[in-house]
Amino acid sequence: MPVWLDDFLWTYQNVVYALGVNGLLALSMYVVLSVGQLSLGQAAFMGLGAYSSALLTVKLHLPFAIVLPASTIAPLLFALAIGTPTLRLSGVYLAIATIGLGEVLRALYINIDFVGGALGISGIPERAGLVSIYGLLILALLGFWLVGRSAIGRAMEAMREDDVAAATMGVNVARYRLGALLTSAVLAGLAGALSAHISSFIGPNEYGFEPAVTILSYALLGGIGSPFAPVIGAWILTLLPEMLRGFADLRLVFNGVIIVLAVLYLPNGILPWAMRRRAA
Amino acid sequence: MILLQTSALTMRFAGLVAVDAVDLAVDAGSIHALIGPNGAGKTTMFNLISGLLPPTSGAISLDGADITALPAYARAGRGMARSFQNIRIFASMTVLENVLTGLHASIAPGLAAILLRLPRFRRQEIDAVSRARAALDLVGLATRAGDRAAALAYGDQRRLEIARAIAGNPRLLLLDEPAAGMNPAESSALADLIRRIRDAGTTVLLVEHDMGFVMRLADRVTVLNFGRRIADGAPADIRRDPTVITAYLGAKVAARLNAA
Repeated sequence: MPVWLDDFLWTYQNVVYALGVNGLLALSMYVVLSVGQLSLGQAAFMGLGAYSSALLTVKLHLPFAIVLPASTIAPLLFALAIGTPTLRLSGVYLAIATIGLGEVLRALYINIDFVGGALGISGIPERAGLVSIYGLLILALLGFWLVGRSAIGRAMEAMREDDVAAATMGVNVARYRLGALLTSAVLAGLAGALSAHISSFIGPNEYGFEPAVTILSYALLGGIGSPFAPVIGAWILTLLPEMLRGFADLRLVFNGVIIVLAVLYLPNGILPWAMRRRAA
Repeated sequence: MILLQTSALTMRFAGLVAVDAVDLAVDAGSIHALIGPNGAGKTTMFNLISGLLPPTSGAISLDGADITALPAYARAGRGMARSFQNIRIFASMTVLENVLTGLHASIAPGLAAILLRLPRFRRQEIDAVSRARAALDLVGLATRAGDRAAALAYGDQRRLEIARAIAGNPRLLLLDEPAAGMNPAESSALADLIRRIRDAGTTVLLVEHDMGFVMRLADRVTVLNFGRRIADGAPADIRRDPTVITAYLGAKVAARLNAA
């Protein structure tokens, strides 16, 4: 590694890592929105990944190569339990069901001593790095790109526009919705495990409603025309507070104004370009 | 040979019987019209047949197999396709992508084949694109393949819906008021198109208000009124049927017509 890059990473390591993790979270939002559903449980899935992976590392001393994939199990199970009954219905049932999830889990984390209670889990070794974070981000982007340009990508786009018409073309709408939610839970769980293994500490209050809205705003700002759009949205909303450090508490106001302006004037996000939905 | 059959098909909404014990038999290879005054239950029949509504009672069979309990997507897999009365194209996709989506039931690449871009996946995509282009060719939209569907004029959107429905060579095509809003020249071209679709081996069941269109095109006509089947037969017989005339014009006018 050249010296300047080493210096740069040393200085900005937290930001560089956060960009990657938030990019993964933006993709976990993207996959649900791209089938026309709204989930506010991304932060909760992230918390499940963070807590389960931290416990595996701190209590069982398992290697990170096992901990990282294992961190997807708890989010998967919760997504399955919430998605199976709600995704057969059309409407906002998933959004309503997932709003509660973060709060319920927060109360659980606080009241269970085994997971650290209100103090959370500290002393998590730094196991995640550039390779694991950006490797997963690139893999996820590539996967969405390949799937997007196929019959599955077309079916997802079609059901987002009109789920009834899509069903009459043979699209098993409920199955695709559940598949999207499970994929989303996996990505959020991985992001949670990565973030837990770069910050050395996780607490019960980090995965509630507010971060869920922040993750949603990544996709709102970037758009969902292609998988790159929400990642760009996440990067803007991650970098902006860093660049506006001088404004202290006013930074949140900037974030809020940007999201309102994006919703009002850029309904398709700042990258409205839609990807081609075929491979031939 | 009967392709589609409904037996005592009934759909009851709270306080309203929209479809009341309707028996319908559509012969394979025919163009069959379902007509009736507004509110007769025609669109409800379509929604029952395509699986968008679960019937209160009765049965539906396709090619002898009972499909009453099958969800809409599975009926598409069995060779059923439909258009909608109010156009439901995928506006943000291109014209070609819309038709490709219509082929969903007939392409089933696995996730692994897609992610690894296996030869099987490539073959299916190339094949799908050529079938989609053939369908666009048939409806006369070949030159618009790359345009966004939302940019098409109303009549072209209707034709796109038909292309999307026929791309997978369905056994049964349901057309809900395909000639709505068309001028005489357009609807005559549409009638030609529907005949060509039938000649290519697809059975057509259509709902239509334009009586001239129905009488010229249909091999057989079934008439609904207030959810009940009131007549069924060849177009020429239906035209003379007193119950049908009464249903459309009211008893008074029908009596005056008879007297004249």
